[in-house]
Amino acid sequence: MTNQLEAAVLIAVLFGSGIFLCLSRRMLSMLFGFILISNAANLVLIAISGDPTAKSAATLAGHSPDALPPVDPLPQALILTAIVIGFAVAAYLTVLIYRLYTDRGTASVPTLFDPKAEPVVGGEDKS
Amino acid sequence: MSWSDTPANLVALPVIFPALIAMICLLAPRPAVWRRVLTAAAMAALLAQAIWMVIHVMEHGPMVLRLGGWVAPYGIVLVGDTLAGIMLGLSSFTALSCVLFGFADETAREEHPLRLPLFLFLLCGINLTFVTGDLFNLFVAFEVMLLSSYGLMTLEAGAKESRQAFPYLTLNLVGSALFLAVCGFAYSLFGTLNFAEIIGRADLLAGDYRLTLLAVLMLLVFGLKAGLFPLYHWLPGSYSVMPAPVAAFYAGMLTKVGVYILIRIFGTVLPPSMTELHTLIAWTAGLTMVIGVLGAVGQTRVQTILSYHIVSQIGFMALAIGLFSPFAITAAIFYIIHHIIVKSALFLVGGSVIKLNGTDELARTGGLWRAAPWLGIAFVLQAMSLAGLPPLSGFWGKFMIIQEGFTQGEWILVGMSLVASVLTLMSMLKIWLGAFWKKAPEDRPPVVTGGSRRMSLVVVCMAAVSLFIGLNAEMFVRVAKHAANETLDRAGYAANVRAANETLYPAKTPGAPKP
Repeated sequence: MTNQLEAAVLIAVLFGSGIFLCLSRRMLSMLFGFILISNAANLVLIAISGDPTAKSAATLAGHSPDALPPVDPLPQALILTAIVIGFAVAAYLTVLIYRLYTDRGTASVPTLFDPKAEPVVGGEDKS
Repeated sequence: MSWSDTPANLVALPVIFPALIAMICLLAPRPAVWRRVLTAAAMAALLAQAIWMVIHVMEHGPMVLRLGGWVAPYGIVLVGDTLAGIMLGLSSFTALSCVLFGFADETAREEHPLRLPLFLFLLCGINLTFVTGDLFNLFVAFEVMLLSSYGLMTLEAGAKESRQAFPYLTLNLVGSALFLAVCGFAYSLFGTLNFAEIIGRADLLAGDYRLTLLAVLMLLVFGLKAGLFPLYHWLPGSYSVMPAPVAAFYAGMLTKVGVYILIRIFGTVLPPSMTELHTLIAWTAGLTMVIGVLGAVGQTRVQTILSYHIVSQIGFMALAIGLFSPFAITAAIFYIIHHIIVKSALFLVGGSVIKLNGTDELARTGGLWRAAPWLGIAFVLQAMSLAGLPPLSGFWGKFMIIQEGFTQGEWILVGMSLVASVLTLMSMLKIWLGAFWKKAPEDRPPVVTGGSRRMSLVVVCMAAVSLFIGLNAEMFVRVAKHAANETLDRAGYAANVRAANETLYPAKTPGAPKP
């Protein structure tokens, strides 16, 4: 747990810039913000497996008694799952933003929720 | 080993079965009648299984399944206790009703080919959140649920409605990232993600600021899912634009998943000594009730009014969690049973109003009491139940919550809940007058078709179930009480999971594969 200051700083910077981007009015900035935030969360997971110095990689084959102790492998299993999920969600968000752009002709949130704005004629409209 | 081990495998059924049926449905690229029959039959089977599970668990104690045979704190366990069984029953019942309503609404050819598969995947994710006994598995379940819900929400949305998915998506994405970080913190704090193991280790940390911080983060994440004040803002806009059967399922189940997890986390997993947090939950709940109901006052569409009432009702359930005594948790569970059915039925009434009047804008509806009297009766029953008039199911739920509030001397919170109830009644009267009692608009009289009659039939059946709950409240309270005691019995939960290591098959331990 000790001596992981650089990981903590990196996570803080990623979370901070991600949140900053999410507060933007432009949907694309928000998309990048989300990607940063989900990566920051992944880094939290990898950071909790502890300081990797003087440790060996976790293997399935088992360890010889004189080898270095392995790192905690569980966070690595978690992060693999989380990366896949984060990727799927980012892909969905990209498609949704594109859909909104074709529907409403805008990529800016205030214009999107402008009560006077009307959908683009000829957009992907089923109603 | 013995016959009593076999049922444990059935805990996985509510998760596997919907996913399997969804994949079978996906094999057929076009909507067809057989897909509908298959889906409805699957949901009916799940309902029957959930009822069996509640009865079985109340007699024999919780069922624990170790997935893949891994020994408990290392592998993932699924735990089917009474509360999980109740929630599974409610999810299958609501899903079945909503799907049947959808069948009456559109012919098989008009239906979007992806609606049923996504619906089933959503059910799969929801059911997994109910039975999982592992924090990270809970995260995965949430993501399965959320990804299907994103898809289902935008699937049939037109250019007017699609923008409402954006706030829903963005808030839930932030929530998911936070949840992931919470999993990380929990693992570094407890060294395990298994609920049963966390129980023992959290007790050792009682009073530690890190545990409190973790609990606050969890409250934030699950409060967002449940729609607690001040995190409810995504809810009314997004729920009111979906097709009625989908919206009714979301309204009934999705926020209640958040409530269920709050009960599970604060009741079972975290130590009961966190009284400051319980007070925080109770007060946010009070604000949620009042602000939700006030939001509804200014609305003029049936579905939007009902959406704001979801927020308000979440407040009641969260208040019961915040009061945090065995009786209060009993009340919360009973309230969930009542609320899910009533709320979905009301959303389906809203869908029928749209079908009959062509809109649910109250200024342009009317004449439904004459056109569809059975729908009107069902609406009155459910609306009065939502407001909490005796002898309907909502009355008993509110009565228990308010009684517990008086016992604990929380006068202001009780007052807030009474104000919210009166305002709920007012909103329901507004819908009644606008859609049912008022004369139909001259230019557009309501059109009664075979489809709308079948839709009314579904709603009437739900109202009948809800009425049954109200009139047989004692039976349901007894089940809820059993579930509450089991939920609060933290040592019992841990012991059950540990006992599962002894059963069914020799335990595998990591690093020592089974010979």
